[in-house]
Amino acid sequence: MTRPWYPKKSLIKDTSCTPEEIKEIVACSTYIDSFIEAESVRSGVPKEQLMKQVREHLEEMGMDKKMHVIRWMGIVFLKISFMMRIGIFVNETAILKLKEQMGKNPIVFLPTHRSYADFCVLTYICYHYDIELPAVAAGMDFYSMAVVGQRMRETGAFFIRRTIVGAPLYAATLKQYVRTLVAKYHAPLEFFIEGTRSRSNKSLPPKYGMLSMSLMAYFAGEVSDITIVPVNFSYDRIMEQILFAYEHIGVPKPKESTGGLLKALRSLNDHFGNIYVNFGTQISLKEYLKNTNLVTNETLKPTSLQQLTPEQLSQVRDIADEVVVLQQNSAVAIITNLLAFVLMDSLMKCKALHYEELLLEVQWMMEVLRGLGASVYEKDIENSLDRILVVHHKTVALDRERRLRLLTGDLMEVSSEVSAKMKGHILKAETMMTAVPVIQLQIYINPMLHYIMSPALVYVLVKRGSTNTDKLANDYYRLRKLLKHEFFYIERTEKYILNKAIDYCKQHHVVINDEGTLRVGDANRMQFLLEWALLPFLTTLMLCLDVIIQMRRCEHKQVLKLVQERAEREGRHPYCLSLESSANCLQGLLATGAILKLKNGSDSIYEVVPAAMEKCRQLVSSVLPEINTVWGRNNPVFERRAPLTSRL
Amino acid sequence: MPKDTELVNKNINIATKSDTMNSLIDKNNTKSVSDSETIIKVKSVIPRKRQELLKWYGWGYKDSMFKLEDGHATFTGNRYLIGGKTLPHCLQWVNENFNVDVNKTPKIPQLPDSYTKSRLPDNVRQELEKIALVSVDGLDRLIRAHGQTLKDISLLRSNSFKRIPDAVIWPESHEQVVQIVQCASRLRFVIIPFGGGTSVSGAITCPADEPRPIVVLDTSDMNSILWMDKEQLLARVQAGIVGQDLEREMRARGFTVGHEPDSYEFSTLGGWVATRASGMKKNTYGNIEELVVQTKVVTPTGVIEKSCRVPRISCGPDWEHVVMGSEGCLGVVTEVTLKIRPLPAVVRYGSLVFPDWESGFKFEREVARQRLQPSSIRLMDNEQFRFGHAVKAESSWGGVILDGLKKFYITCIKGFDPHKLCVVTLLMEGNSDQVSDREKKLNAIAALFGGIPGGAKNGEVGYTLTFVIAYIRDLALEYDIVAESFETSVPWDRALALCDNTKRRVRHECARRHIHRFLISCRLTQTYDAGCCIYFYFGFNSAGCADAVATYEEIEDAARDEILASGGSISHHHGVGKLRKKWYEQTVSSPGRRLLLAAKQALDPDNIFALGNMAFDEYTPEHVVNSKL
Ligand SMILES: Cc1cc2nc3c(=O)[nH]c(=O)nc-3n(C[C@H](O)[C@H](O)[C@H](O)COP(=O)(O)OP(=O)(O)OC[C@H]3O[C@@H](n4cnc5c(N)ncnc54)[C@H](O)[C@@H]3O)c2cc1C
Repeated sequence: MTRPWYPKKSLIKDTSCTPEEIKEIVACSTYIDSFIEAESVRSGVPKEQLMKQVREHLEEMGMDKKMHVIRWMGIVFLKISFMMRIGIFVNETAILKLKEQMGKNPIVFLPTHRSYADFCVLTYICYHYDIELPAVAAGMDFYSMAVVGQRMRETGAFFIRRTIVGAPLYAATLKQYVRTLVAKYHAPLEFFIEGTRSRSNKSLPPKYGMLSMSLMAYFAGEVSDITIVPVNFSYDRIMEQILFAYEHIGVPKPKESTGGLLKALRSLNDHFGNIYVNFGTQISLKEYLKNTNLVTNETLKPTSLQQLTPEQLSQVRDIADEVVVLQQNSAVAIITNLLAFVLMDSLMKCKALHYEELLLEVQWMMEVLRGLGASVYEKDIENSLDRILVVHHKTVALDRERRLRLLTGDLMEVSSEVSAKMKGHILKAETMMTAVPVIQLQIYINPMLHYIMSPALVYVLVKRGSTNTDKLANDYYRLRKLLKHEFFYIERTEKYILNKAIDYCKQHHVVINDEGTLRVGDANRMQFLLEWALLPFLTTLMLCLDVIIQMRRCEHKQVLKLVQERAEREGRHPYCLSLESSANCLQGLLATGAILKLKNGSDSIYEVVPAAMEKCRQLVSSVLPEINTVWGRNNPVFERRAPLTSRL
Repeated sequence: MPKDTELVNKNINIATKSDTMNSLIDKNNTKSVSDSETIIKVKSVIPRKRQELLKWYGWGYKDSMFKLEDGHATFTGNRYLIGGKTLPHCLQWVNENFNVDVNKTPKIPQLPDSYTKSRLPDNVRQELEKIALVSVDGLDRLIRAHGQTLKDISLLRSNSFKRIPDAVIWPESHEQVVQIVQCASRLRFVIIPFGGGTSVSGAITCPADEPRPIVVLDTSDMNSILWMDKEQLLARVQAGIVGQDLEREMRARGFTVGHEPDSYEFSTLGGWVATRASGMKKNTYGNIEELVVQTKVVTPTGVIEKSCRVPRISCGPDWEHVVMGSEGCLGVVTEVTLKIRPLPAVVRYGSLVFPDWESGFKFEREVARQRLQPSSIRLMDNEQFRFGHAVKAESSWGGVILDGLKKFYITCIKGFDPHKLCVVTLLMEGNSDQVSDREKKLNAIAALFGGIPGGAKNGEVGYTLTFVIAYIRDLALEYDIVAESFETSVPWDRALALCDNTKRRVRHECARRHIHRFLISCRLTQTYDAGCCIYFYFGFNSAGCADAVATYEEIEDAARDEILASGGSISHHHGVGKLRKKWYEQTVSSPGRRLLLAAKQALDPDNIFALGNMAFDEYTPEHVVNSKL
């Protein structure tokens, strides 16, 4: 508690600002002044009153770093981690290298957002490595939590509202605050480029707002460069996994509150496994933009009034997209992922695996993922497996015959209160009983899917009939577009990725190249894996198509409900019940022009574009894998166990 | 831990855009929105239909004018200090100087009932209407056909313009101006940038022999303050803003631009730049060229603007200065970055009385030598001093006594000849210490040249008169008196002789033409290290004169010859326009004139901005080619 702490600053200048001074700089900036002048003319509200609001906004958002709180929180963190039996693995080389080069220019940490634990972990890592604690952009949900909000503020968090529509003064203040933090504050900035926790444990398309605000300092010439550091978190067990699973099928998550947090704390006395923190390739903004001219019309304005030009905005978007890909590339395959794959494979085959088989399967899975380009962090499979079975004891277990089983809850009673809260179709208790564990399982498959997606698409496209590369490419790109919102990618690397996937398939006999004609190969084990990996997503797509074609014109919410209903009725893969997944499919259909979106108040209505729609349907149905498996309790891999129901 | 995969090679030109990814914050970052966040929209005093507020046939506000009624003079309206007051000394002064029959009914012109048909082709009009508001209304066009020269006003009053513009367009932004200029290049019509129409050089006057359609680009809707940086003391303003609007908005925020030409109630920022205007308070704030940090100009061949906002630059000739003073002939000034200053704590007027012009002049020279000029310092000759007296309003009892006492002191005790004495008016700004200190120093210098303090009130009256003097010409015209002012700049060593020579020449020219009722008077309005600005007023009773305006112009031309011969310039601030073009080449040299035409060739090869000011009427598109051969 008394160890001296002299953290390394990200930006070393002659004078460094306190958090209070940062707020003052923002309030006194020419931008805020000009904004108020103009706003006052527009709205007739006196300038003093607007200024008061700005200061209130700043009080609400501004951080307030306190040394003693940081020490104290460091200890609390250690205590909790101990209680949760968490191990944290860090790419130490990367962080030491980063620390080495700190001091010259601002740093922006852009971690993946998989859990509320994310920023605690990163903050703790900085604490541990004597790096100035990042200024973290936190959601307002924390702000309202008694004590916690204030403590977070004191360890460097600042608070942002989820929506800024209709609050121009707030938006202006936030914009200036973030920009000033980057330009003038000595700590790294940290925010989640995905904007929100990914409920599916795979990358979400990036949001551009915060990044635009924070990179502005470079475009305005206030700093010599900005170092952007993508960070990936891989969790053995995500604290929120069960909540996420419920959210997928439409049961809203409870609001964060300190009371809730305390209750959660009690449930933390369990094994949560390891957290793997990896740092992606850094981007030097200056390097990235080296061929562009920073002198624009905007440079003629006062510094704080300078805005991104449309070209610069599109560069920022490119960077954001790039960051997501870099995050993905630094994702580590861990034992949880391997186990999830193997278990899902066994569910698909309706055959529970014996421990010995399990070991072999995990070994095989590891090689497969490695072959697909993933970095696998695994040394001693048997040891890890034993450990991870303890971590996931609530969801998987070895039965008496030492076969690996997926645990289902008891048939729970769905109260009318709970049904009323359901966002989508009212699901049967029977359905939920197996769906919830399968979705939780899928959550640990998802973060590896970006490695598998492309070869899998290549395989299903070849499987429907021999083809050549060009024809294949055409349909491949269409499918990718349809699934873009499930599996984020960057347009310009698509060709390269496809070629790599084809090469992979050829190498592994998934397909064979017969003098320019691509045919199906004989790597059955691999082929099956590729097919089932695609199954839930293509099925959801197909369900969406069917529903919309039948309805011709349908409200967004209604589509989601009908897809769920159909998925339940037809006994589809439980992940097809995911509202998020259907919504992503709808986005894909919109992007390909198969449907049109009409606004009707706050709700969107979709309308079929028949010709384009028909093409989509043909395409999807031609590649839809046929896998005969059962998702009900009669699948022998499920085993019934009680404890999970109380949550609802 | 594993190594990261290599950063995939980048191509920054390709943006991956996805509609759904536009977060709310992103929407704020599109250019138009974020720019408008900080724009201060200014409500102008002057409406788009100028004629609703302004006199269509003369100067200034409709409701403000001199009137001779029932044997005394009044000034109407309540906009100025003398508004609504009787001017007891006025008639006597008019009689002494011009001998007019004040019982005659004044000649107030009637609005024309028809106008020359607009020559703007329909297709052009439709194109323009897509860009901004357009009018082809006759009166809209007529009141933008001219400036404020004597000739303009006389043609206006007799509705005898040879040519008036064919349409008026009101762009609101730089971008719209770009579109209009592109449209003009494509569809071949002429553009006249129109600010406040206060030009007194003929610069804004519609070219009489232009065969192409003429569109007046009225800048008055471009009057927003784009940003204001109180820390850097800068403001970016659209060029159409009217002086009084700009000043009012700045003052409401505790600042001032401090550029106050006598026309600033009506003239515009763009007009100031295009004519190289000079403001009364230039000693503190600088002339327009010192106030402007940056200008953005739309020309037919592109937009000219420096790429950096810097206090000074060494980068060859300053092309923004080619545009400054280009009198609307090279393009449209759309945006200007200006210096602003905090409002001074104290503004104090003062006056000093000198026994004669020469001692007043020497005082001014000494003040300039010591660089002790307050914001404004002006020396009026005896004629102007007495004219000032003539337009003084009836004062209160106390005022009269004080006036009387002061007069008694000045003429009897100090022994000043009332027909020779001259007055210096002072406008001092700063904190109270600075102002008092300056006043003390000026008084001390004045004493060296026989000057004595004349009180703050006289100073203030002097400066408020500045704005009403312009109304006199309308009254004069109603009684057949033609009058106009002209000005010059001159080195100190030649200034006294120049004043003397010019006045003599005017008297001589009048005598030659048997004009006996006239007034020639001058004042020294600005001082510099190297010289000063002299401002002449000349007017005469034209009854019995065949062509009063032509006669006036002949005499003014003679006066200008005399000025140039005495070492003065073609103009200190009014500009060359059409009135003074014959002295242009001799002033700038022959290579200078060629440079001017080369600028035209470079920026406006098709002569879209065909106002023909300075030597621009000598430009033909082939001009440069020819001279090369
Ligand atoms: C009573 C009176 C007092 C005056 N006092 C002074 C004085 O103290 N100091 C002084 O300097 N002048 C004075 N003037 C002259 C006149 O006011 C100035 O020349 C003034 O700068 C003209 O501005 P404006 O907006 O009225 O321009 P306009 O008269 O409309 O136009 C003048 C010229 O500038 C061009 N122009 C206007 N706007 C633009 C633009 N945005 N882009 C490109 N070209 C443009 C026009 O085409 C034209 O050639 C006075 C005039 C009068 C009538």
